Amino acid sequence: MKRKAGRTSKSSRTNRAGKSRSRRSTIDSSRSAHLDTLVATNARALGIPLDSAWHEAIAFNLRLILLHAKLVDEFALADDTEPASVFYA
Amino acid sequence: MLDAPAPDDLAWSAAGELAAGVASGRLSALEVVEATLARIRNRDPLLNCFTTVTEERAIDRAHALDQARESGKPLGPLAGVPFAVKNLFDIAGLATLAGSKINRENQPARRDATLIERLELAGAVLVGALNMGEYAYDFTGQNIHYGPSRNPHDLKRMTGGSSGGSGGAVAGGLVPLALGSDTNGSIRVPSSCCGIFGLKPTYGRLSRARSFPFVASLDHVGPMARNVEDLALAYDAMQGFDADDPTCVDRAAQPVASLLERNVEGLRIAVAGGYFKPRSVEALQAIDRAAVALGVNRDIDIPQAERARSAAFLITASEGASLHLDRLRRDAKRYDPAVRDRLIAGAMVPASLVLKAHKFRRWYREEMLKLFADVDVILAPATPCTAPFIDQQTFVFGDDELPVRANLGIYTQPISFIGLPVVAVPVAVALSPLPIAVQIIAAPWREDVALRVAHALEANGTATAPRPRM
Repeated sequence: MKRKAGRTSKSSRTNRAGKSRSRRSTIDSSRSAHLDTLVATNARALGIPLDSAWHEAIAFNLRLILLHAKLVDEFALADDTEPASVFYA
Repeated sequence: MLDAPAPDDLAWSAAGELAAGVASGRLSALEVVEATLARIRNRDPLLNCFTTVTEERAIDRAHALDQARESGKPLGPLAGVPFAVKNLFDIAGLATLAGSKINRENQPARRDATLIERLELAGAVLVGALNMGEYAYDFTGQNIHYGPSRNPHDLKRMTGGSSGGSGGAVAGGLVPLALGSDTNGSIRVPSSCCGIFGLKPTYGRLSRARSFPFVASLDHVGPMARNVEDLALAYDAMQGFDADDPTCVDRAAQPVASLLERNVEGLRIAVAGGYFKPRSVEALQAIDRAAVALGVNRDIDIPQAERARSAAFLITASEGASLHLDRLRRDAKRYDPAVRDRLIAGAMVPASLVLKAHKFRRWYREEMLKLFADVDVILAPATPCTAPFIDQQTFVFGDDELPVRANLGIYTQPISFIGLPVVAVPVAVALSPLPIAVQIIAAPWREDVALRVAHALEANGTATAPRPRM
């Protein structure tokens, strides 16, 4: 018997795509909410008084910095790699 | 009413020519300084490069130099040469602004920055402090408190930053020599946008003592001028160990001015490919023209350059934020919002990621040193485009549109990240009326090699600081 491999109806494909978009959007909004929480919590912990009007721009900048951090974090380094800090005994 | 313009031959003279004229008595230091002050009075209202003009001090100093010459005392190699400094360098008697409003309330500096002392010891004359991006967190040369420094080649355009006043003042003929600082590209970006020469020396080569910091592990200071010889004269005058700067390396000075004429034919030179491949016609033409002039037909891949730029971005955000933490708690509302929001975000980055960036820095340095076993010089674009318009928010970068403020230094960041010496040289391109520069990158402590190549490009007419039509 032939398998009906990969055959799905247009409506089911549309539904799946819709669910995927919806899941992505849930993840994005969840990440965004986490970032907002991070900004608010960190500002309190660090004692930086935040004006609510600044919140969005700070979250944007934090997201950008963390994107750069991700690129660094993904790079495998040996455990014994010395940080290039500036100190001479 | 504006004063009559200073004679062009003085305004556009090289520092070396002025010094020779003063030393010989053909010019007096006072004559040079007064012409400079007149030029600043006339032109700076358009360019907005100066935040303070130290007129009285400059005239006193010029008198002293002229008296010294008359009494037969030896004058230094920069005798009577006017210079100005980015306003993050301490000038005795003035608050060190570092481009901010907050620092205006600081106590006046009690002593000049080491580099000012050393230039004056060589006979140069300080004429003022220069505009800059707030706390140097900027590639545009714009400043919300003091207004933008304006590009002498087109007053509607940025100077580039953060040493924007330094770039504009030198390019606009206000001074032949200026000092800037460069954490991620702040000497090289304005040099490119304004069409002048800039030297970012090896990390630890020149003293940063009594200059306002930004990112301690990345901050450099250096000269900007309209020709290579002036860069070399200033660099030689400023070299030497300084115990007042803990990062200044105890290494013998290596004067370079007398080495500029040395042949560059034996040098192994390559063009940086991959990440550094230009995505604008202007940057591409500039790098091609420099490569052709030097007979270079070899590309080289700098490993993980994009990641290096990201690591520099990350360290900058975190260390910069750490420097400003107390001020942010106290005075956040008085920052430029664009700077404040970046600094506050930087304060929130986990230390574990920042330390990883420092570990990556070590890895990247070792890989780059391996490259320098095989080449002496690497050429790369200095900026991705010519000077954007003031207040322009984004620019086109290949298929992408990127924010100007964070990305004009996209090609400079991976190089200063590991402290390599670089000379930015302006290269005229056929399709653009605006200047753009190429980076000449050498191995650590080989400023002499980078300057020799810059000099060769200048001597054959490839690199030149164009005179603006103002």
